[in-house]
Amino acid sequence: MLARFLPSVEGRRILYAYCAAVALFLIGEAVRPGFGSAASIEAVLVVAVFVGLVAAGQTFVILIGGIDLSVPWVLNAAAILLVTSSLGQNDRAPYALALTLGMGALVGLANGLGITLLGVPAVVMTLAMNGIMEGLTLGLSGGLTCASCASYAPPLIQQAVHGHAFGIPAALWLWLAVTVVVSFVLSYTTFGRSTYAIGTNERASFLAGVPVKATTVALYMLSGVFAALAGVMLVGFGGQASLGMGDPYLFQSIAAVVIGGVYILGGRGHYIGTVAGSICLVTLVSVLLAMNMPDYGRSIIYGVIILVLLLLYGREAPES
Amino acid sequence: MLAASIGIYCAIFYAAQQSFPGGFELTSTLNNTMPLVLAAVAQTVVVLTRGLDLSVGGMIDLTNAIAAISLGTTPASMIGWSLLILLIGAALGLLNGVLVAIGRLQPILVTLATLAIFQGLAIRVLPQPGGAVPDVYTNILANTSYPFSLLYLVLLGILWLAFRRTSLGVAILAVGNDEPAAKANGIDPVRTKILAYMLGGTLAAAAGLFLAATSTAGDATTGNGYTLTSIVAVVLGGVSLFGGRGSAIGAMLGAFVITMIVNILFFAHINPLYQEFYEGAFLVIAVVLAEGIGRFVRKRG
Repeated sequence: MLARFLPSVEGRRILYAYCAAVALFLIGEAVRPGFGSAASIEAVLVVAVFVGLVAAGQTFVILIGGIDLSVPWVLNAAAILLVTSSLGQNDRAPYALALTLGMGALVGLANGLGITLLGVPAVVMTLAMNGIMEGLTLGLSGGLTCASCASYAPPLIQQAVHGHAFGIPAALWLWLAVTVVVSFVLSYTTFGRSTYAIGTNERASFLAGVPVKATTVALYMLSGVFAALAGVMLVGFGGQASLGMGDPYLFQSIAAVVIGGVYILGGRGHYIGTVAGSICLVTLVSVLLAMNMPDYGRSIIYGVIILVLLLLYGREAPES
Repeated sequence: MLAASIGIYCAIFYAAQQSFPGGFELTSTLNNTMPLVLAAVAQTVVVLTRGLDLSVGGMIDLTNAIAAISLGTTPASMIGWSLLILLIGAALGLLNGVLVAIGRLQPILVTLATLAIFQGLAIRVLPQPGGAVPDVYTNILANTSYPFSLLYLVLLGILWLAFRRTSLGVAILAVGNDEPAAKANGIDPVRTKILAYMLGGTLAAAAGLFLAATSTAGDATTGNGYTLTSIVAVVLGGVSLFGGRGSAIGAMLGAFVITMIVNILFFAHINPLYQEFYEGAFLVIAVVLAEGIGRFVRKRG
């Protein structure tokens, strides 16, 4: 059914990614009985939400052939900003949430302007921004020793992450909503079509009247907002902020996008694939954890699997 | 830019210490910068082919860890293991090169994946910081009394100038400039890229050895930072990230500018927690300035 809505090759890739996710659950069940139970699947999916949100922003910028390497410290800064501005109080939660997401948008704006107006390559701009956010976060919070740094996330936000509605975790509802909105935007709006156009041929898009610069800036802002949102969710999930909590999400968000069949040079792919990629990745980690695989082993297997997937479908066309 | 940063460094050093930096500061600065200089040259070779090597940090981690557990006190052991570690570096680079050139994969993705693999292996080799590097080894590579490093630095510069005139050096620049044209002129892009990544891996391994010598012990995570700083050094050194243009000498100077910045921040009593902030901001400013100057020169010419 999915394939009908998408060009065939991409549709098939997305289908493969979902099949891989199911297969991983089956392997998990074989390794450790009970892995495939409803409660376990639910737990894995909730963890996949964080990766999925960061990867949503990453999908947007990769679709235009860009990349956002600043997500780790935008996420971390967002988590710390949320607890320090809300001080764990419910009545301050809306203000803190707006402030945090605004911060994400602002960082994305700076990334987008640096890339479009100043002509800095996306890799360099977002890598530098990651350092800038790390320095600011560490400096302003005194290395997370400030008085308000130990605050908890407001109970409202904690409940929003941990709560259930109609028997399904609230975090999954949020992800479902994000998936529907992002997919709709990509497939059926001018903005979405412009994104694919820029990713396919920037110059031709510009000549065809697509607002290339404005769209690029908007996409990086979206990436910043999604990274900040993931930070909010993560601190709501864990209760408190910590240093380095964003570090795993750079690799995972890019990997999820690649596994989901999005072409790394832009123009092809869909968020529906990225969702499958996120689930695959988190399930894989959970299976490795269930097998008591030590940290270094997971790191190695991660790298190997990304390489295998890249070789399967991330290759560039041979030169003519 | 290097002259300016050294000037500011001397001024701030004088203000903080009431004396100008002397021989000791020169030696320690040179010793501490050597790993970064080597990492920057490693990155340059790959960037010149229009690639990017994010796994430099992982290769330094792994080679540093191997050096810390295996170097013995006898000369044979030290020389043997050093050569073996350089070979291991070349093998790691070979893996990157084969995946990029024959596998036709994006360099940034390949090296992101191999970074994870190399880091994992490094932690497997040396789970906790430790091991030991013999004193003799430290005295040869990173002598604290005499600026031997200056010698290595000049040697590296001369080697680069010679390398650029070899057929491989020319091929690397040609492939980075215009791959189809290079191919039409009889250069094998696949072979060139693989050799460039191998050379990068060997240089990264040398950086790991110097790092082990300077710190006299091993740590499987200290290399991580070199991925970012080597890219910064390359950009500061005027090497184009789009390949084909630039010199390793520039990247080596870029490495010293970074060390100077860190020193300036230290002596100016700027909170070390903000260090990443200044490095990031400086990177953007440097790229924008380099681009602006380039555009200005082109308009004039």
